[in-house]
Formats: sequence, structure tokens, C-alpha cells
Amino acid sequence: MTEINGLKDSAAIAGIGATEFSKSSGRSEMRLACEAVQAAIADAGLQPSQIDGMVTFSADTNPEIEIARNLGIGELSFFSRIHHGGGAACGTIQQAVLAVNSGVADYVVCYRAFNERSGRRFGTGVQDRPPSPTAEMAHFSWYSPFGLLTPAQWVAMFARRYMHEYGATSEDFGAIAVADRKHAATNPSAWFYEQPITLEDHQSSRWIVEPLHLLDCCQESDGAQAMVVTTPERARDLAQPTVIVNNAAQGAGVDQDMMTSYYRPSITGLPEMGLIARQLWNTTGLGPDDIQTAVIYDHFTPLALPQLEEFGFCARGEAKDFIKDGAIEIGGRLPINTHGGQLGEAYIHGMNGIAEGVRQVRGTSVNQVPGVEHALVTAGTMVPTSALVLGVDR
Amino acid sequence: MTFNATGLRYDDVDVGDELPPLDLPLTRSLIVATAIASRDYQDVHHDPGLAQERGSKDIFMNILSTNGFVGRFVTDWAGPDAVLKKVSIRLGAPNYPGDTMRMTGSVTKKADGLVEVAVRGANGLGDHVSGTVTLELPRD
Amino acid sequence: MTTTTPTTEDEKAAFLAKLKAYEGRTYGPPMRGPDPVNQAMIRHWVEAIGDENPVYVDPDAAARSVHGGIVAPPVSLQAWVMRGFRPAASATSDVQDEIMSLLNGAGFTSVVATNCEQEYFKELHVGTHLSTTTTVESISEEKATGLGVGHFLTTLVRYTDEHDDLVATMRFRILKFKPGTGRSATQAKTDAEPATRPPRPRPAVTQDNAFFFEGAQQHKLLIQRCSSCGRLRHPPGPACPSCRSYDWDTVEASGKATVYSFVVNHYPQVPSFDYPLAVGLFELEEGTRLVANFVGVEPDAIEVGMPVQVEFVEHDAELTLPAFRPVQVTA
Ligand SMILES: [Zn+2]
Repeated sequence: MTEINGLKDSAAIAGIGATEFSKSSGRSEMRLACEAVQAAIADAGLQPSQIDGMVTFSADTNPEIEIARNLGIGELSFFSRIHHGGGAACGTIQQAVLAVNSGVADYVVCYRAFNERSGRRFGTGVQDRPPSPTAEMAHFSWYSPFGLLTPAQWVAMFARRYMHEYGATSEDFGAIAVADRKHAATNPSAWFYEQPITLEDHQSSRWIVEPLHLLDCCQESDGAQAMVVTTPERARDLAQPTVIVNNAAQGAGVDQDMMTSYYRPSITGLPEMGLIARQLWNTTGLGPDDIQTAVIYDHFTPLALPQLEEFGFCARGEAKDFIKDGAIEIGGRLPINTHGGQLGEAYIHGMNGIAEGVRQVRGTSVNQVPGVEHALVTAGTMVPTSALVLGVDR
Repeated sequence: MTFNATGLRYDDVDVGDELPPLDLPLTRSLIVATAIASRDYQDVHHDPGLAQERGSKDIFMNILSTNGFVGRFVTDWAGPDAVLKKVSIRLGAPNYPGDTMRMTGSVTKKADGLVEVAVRGANGLGDHVSGTVTLELPRD
Repeated sequence: MTTTTPTTEDEKAAFLAKLKAYEGRTYGPPMRGPDPVNQAMIRHWVEAIGDENPVYVDPDAAARSVHGGIVAPPVSLQAWVMRGFRPAASATSDVQDEIMSLLNGAGFTSVVATNCEQEYFKELHVGTHLSTTTTVESISEEKATGLGVGHFLTTLVRYTDEHDDLVATMRFRILKFKPGTGRSATQAKTDAEPATRPPRPRPAVTQDNAFFFEGAQQHKLLIQRCSSCGRLRHPPGPACPSCRSYDWDTVEASGKATVYSFVVNHYPQVPSFDYPLAVGLFELEEGTRLVANFVGVEPDAIEVGMPVQVEFVEHDAELTLPAFRPVQVTA
């Protein structure tokens, strides 16, 4: 596999747009998608008719052609969808990077929209899926009949083993939740604006699935997020400061399962994220020391720890020490999830995290980290996934 | 089990006699067929989607059919000359498709040509039905 | 409808008085069944019920019997007056509607039938044409039951024939109760909830994994094995990752394993399972891992590394699954 490619610094995120984040939008998912896409196009200073490419998640219910019709976008020369739930987030940007570099499209919108709280809730799991004899459903045969039905339950199995091997504790996971909620508390767009929590709150919150407390689990949210990707040259002529995509990468590991890679020799790492880290560091020439802030995918707190290890911010098993003493909060060594993360701001399948990365590079975050040159954003864990590095334009 | 074509007479029966158990596989077809045969068209007895909307996990057997099976269980044992006089049942756990109802019974009283049988129908969830059936059997 | 739940003793007494006023009242004029007792409908009934008694369908056998001719099963009593698939708008009575709306309005919105007593005075010979008169026999004071607090409503239905002779009576009792007012959640589960327990989610069975579930049905824990290079693999698949062979067979595992990881589920609670629900990731001594439940151990006592032995749990007629029980290690 090539871990070098020609896409370094070859694209830019020129516009971002979102709806409000709520528990009940009162609008169709289609309308949320239109609103976010329209806002991202306007943020970039473009007209809808200039958009010629669209990318979303295969989990999204809003076809690009419907959005194109509603917003008067017109013709599309590029459209693509990425599978594997929240793992798709940065993968949509990679698709756009490939498209604008190859010339198949000039301005590509990446988007995700859902009523994930007021509509179909992912947290309720898969018990109602009919057991049709396909590979994707046969996968659940090893879990559903035993009552292992929800993302929280699948993730908790890794968390328990991680605790066993490295001595991590529930309090260590709690540090992620406390940092997220501290940042959300000063972000007016966050659902948990002005509602910070303490480690005691985390510890006393009810069990969802041991070893996960309620406050280890991200929210369920209604909302939409979109961004516009183009070449750096075009971006420089648009409305916003140019935010370079230093690179984006996808990864599926050896013996990869969807949320349940329980059969690898070790289950305490995230080899798919390690593969992405190797690609990003090798292609950009950057490393952990070049990153001033990161958006670490946080559907469940325990898996934030091995992500920090896979990207080399600390050694394997040592994330629990790395995150101590406010290191991941504003003012610390690596402030993470400065928008509040998916625990604090909203769960928009990681797409709102990319927008926060863009704001940090623009210098417009409500929790701005000083001197940001590069921001790392990661996507869903325990699935085939993706990540990207954003940087200032030089 | 099969129907007792010869039939019992009053003197054949003693208090404490046990009826041959009847295992009734509760197929979806059975639940729907018995509901419709009793002219009970309530959706909870044939439409799984609507049954779920009304808070039931699936369709379930209607009460008329429960009475039907209680009657059959007793006359299967007693034969063609039995005349049912009274059926008194208490209802419990629903009969859902996929389960099996095992019917058991024993003679609890005998007087003046009348025989009382205690009847129980249990499924995987517990007692679906319990009660007594009073019947008249031919004498001498 | 506004719900005004009677709470004080005075309010309860006033509410009960309103209910009691309906005792003795009749549900409108007599209702006549659409058809007399007839052979065709008897046949439908006995076929569905599987009743082989010849006196219901065989004229000769019926004539020889004490019944003297074809009769309908007495327990089919109600079927002869059912309103059918498209009941007329007038099919419910004012009195019945009033009682129901009174109870619904006070929060007693759920209903369950609890008792049915039928007494037969004449047989249901072919040609008997039944009519019914329904009277409110009693409405109970508020009772605390396993399902919730509620009132029992008992009606007495008199079945008469075309000569106005009494053929049968039916005493029918329902409980109108307030949902969610039963005993503690745990107790309600054992009393009423089992009735709503659905079976466990079914596995999606394919040609690649059927052997595992068929093996479990026979209480065998089978592991897929490459026939070409001998590599064991789980979850199973069509091809060997080591040598690409599509040829495979299975080996029966010893069932000895250790707990590699585990979780204890608290929420959401799916009705097919008991909570808290422990689920383990077990490493078999043969080297593969699989997810399964525990038996014979409280969730608090489970530890990573604990030695366990497979057993099989028959959840229903179609689903038997492996589960693991901790084994005592003797030093
Ligand atoms: Zn092989």
C-alpha cells in the first residue's frame, strides 16, 4: 500500500454551514440538508449553480439530486457516498479532494443531515433489523441473539479490555467527557452550552453498559452540517480565509469488522486509525508535534484514548497519563474537541468536528487555541474510518 | 391425542383422574384461523403490525378460541355423549405465535351425573388459561 | 378528553357512585345474531379448533348420540352473535360507551379480560337463532392489581333463542386499569410482563454460518476449519484468509474458554432479555473468540481471565445458543 500520495495541500475547505443543533428540529431531514448546504455555499461566497459535485454518507437519507433540485444547483459532474456510519466523515472530504484535483469537479459540497434524536435513534441498536441472509446482517448474528445490540454495548467490550490491559479507569474516560463539556459550556451553538460537568457528575451518572456511564456516551442530535471543498487556487478568490486540506485519508484494518473487531490478536488498539495516521504523517511530512488542536471522534469516551496513541501523541497504553491535568482542555498541551465534541456540541456523525477544525485554522473558534497552524480531525472509531489534517495557507 | 370415540360414562370416571395432556403448537395460522372461524376480526388477532402498534409484541389468540380449545380438550377425553354444562375460565398470559400451549386437567368433583374437571393451559410465559369445566356424562 | 383522576377519598367515593349507578343497566335492546346455528359455520369452527367430535359434523353419529342431531360446540356460544368484519355503527350501546368514557376519562385507559363463565341450559342445535341481552352486573371499587389500579366491570349476557327460551348465560369480567400503576417494575415483570416477552433476535443464517447455529441446536460448539491449511476461524466465512481455500469443515470445540472481555448491559432494555445482562467475549482454548452470554454467575462476580466452560441454553424451539459458566479452579 502506498503511504505517499500527491494530494498534499492540494485542496481547501472554502465554506462551512450548519443548522442549529437540537433534539427535535421540527423539520424534515431533507430540509436540514438543504439549509446546511445552502449555508456552506453562502459562507464560501459562491452561488449554488457553481457547485458541481456532492458527497455524503451512504447512511444519509437525503439524495444529492434532491438537494441539487431544491437549491437550484443544477448539473452535477461528481457524486459519491461513503459507507460505515461515522467513519465516513473525513472520507467525504477525501472524495472531494480527489475530485477537485482530478478536475472532475470544481466545487464539491460534503454534507450530513439527520433527525437522529427525534427520528430514528441509532442508540436503540439493531434488534429490529430482519435477519435477511446478507453478509451485513449475518455479521449481527454473532451479537444480536446474545443481546449485544447497540453501539455503546459494542464499544464497551473494547473499553473493558483496554482497562484490563493498561490499567485505565472510568475516571480516565471521564476526563474526556469533562473536557468536552467544558468546551461546550462556552460554545453557544452547543446543546450543552453553559452546562459543564465535573468528574463526580460523570461517575455518578447511571450505567448504560458497564463500564460506560451515561456521560461517556455522545448525544443523540438533530441537525445538519456541510462544507465546500475546492482547490486552494480557487479558494483564495472566495470569501473566507483559505483553509488547506493538508491531506485526508481512509483506513480499514486487517480483520476489520463493523464495530466489533473482537477477533484480532489485540483489541486495545485501532489499527485502521494507525493506518490513517501513517498515511497522514507520511504524506504531509507532519507529526504529532505539529498539531496544536485536534477533534478526536468521541461517540464514546474510551475510544478517544487509543486514537491519541495511534496518532503518536503518546505511547500505547499511556493516553490515560497524557490526558491528565487538563492537557486536553483549552490551555493544555493538546486541546481537543474545542466545540464541545459530540458529547457536548452535537452528534452530527463527525461532520461538525470538521467544521470546528476549519474554524480553528481560520482563527474563529469560540474556544480559539492560539497559534494554530494545523488541526487534526478524526472520524468514527471501530469502523472503517478516516481522518484529515487542516492547515493555514502559506 | 385423538378423540375418544367410544366415550366415557359417568361410572368410568373417578375424582383424581387425569386427562391426557394436549400440546397445542401455537402457529400463526392457528391463531388467525380460529379468530376468523369465530368471526372475531379484531386486528390484534391477525395483523402483527397493528398488534404491535397497540402495544402487543405480536398477534395473540382471542378468547373465543381459548374457550374452543378448553371445550375440545375436555370432550376429546370424554367423548361424543358428554354434554358441557358450564365452562368457567380465568385468563392469563397471551398465546403468541411460536409458543406451545400444554393443556392438562384432572377430575375434581363428581356428583349427580355431573363431573367437574379442573383445566389448565400453560404456554412459555405462564398460565394462559385456568378454570373448571362441568359436564354431564351418560349413566348406567 | 380531559382526564380528571379522582385522588381524594371524597372524589373516589363520588366517582364510584357514578360507576355504581350503571349496575343493573342494560346495553340497549337485544341484539340478534346474523344467522341461525348452521352446519357451514360449525364446520369452520371445528376445523380451526381441530375438534374431531363427530356430533358437530356427522349427522348419523350425531343422531346416535345423546345430542340427537348436529349441534354446535357449546363453547362456540359467542361466535353466533359476533358483529363480523364490518359492524354497523349502531353496534355499540350508549350505556357501554358511557361507562368506558367515564373510566377512560379518569385515567383507567387500559383493558384486559380476566374471567369468562359460560353456563349452558339448551344445546345449540342447527337452526337455533340466538339473541343477547347484556346487563351490567357489577362495577367494583378501585382495586390494586398486578397490572395496575383499576375497576373490574362484570357483565351478564343472556343468550335466548327464537322462542325466547334461555339457552345460555355468560358472565364476562374485564379490568379497566391505569397503565404504569402496577407493582414495582421488577414485580410487574414477573406478573404481567412475561406475557409480552418476545423471542430473542434471530441470527441471519447464510450458507457460511448455518453450521454454527445447527451445531448449537445439537449442543455442539463448532469452529470453522480450513480443510486445506487447518486454520480455525470465527466468525466464519466462505474463504480462508491464510490460503484462500474455499474448502472447509468444522471441529467441535472442547468448550473450555476464558473471559477475554465482557460488558453488563443496563440500557436500553429490550424485552427479549433480562437486565442487567452480561455479555462476554470468550477466548476458546482452540484460539478463536466468540461473543455469548454467561450462566451461573452474577454480573458483579465476572472477571477478565476467568476460566469458563460452555453450556447450551434452549431459548425457544428454534434457538439454542452457547453460554459460558465459570469453572472452579482447583489449585
Ligand atoms: Zn487455509
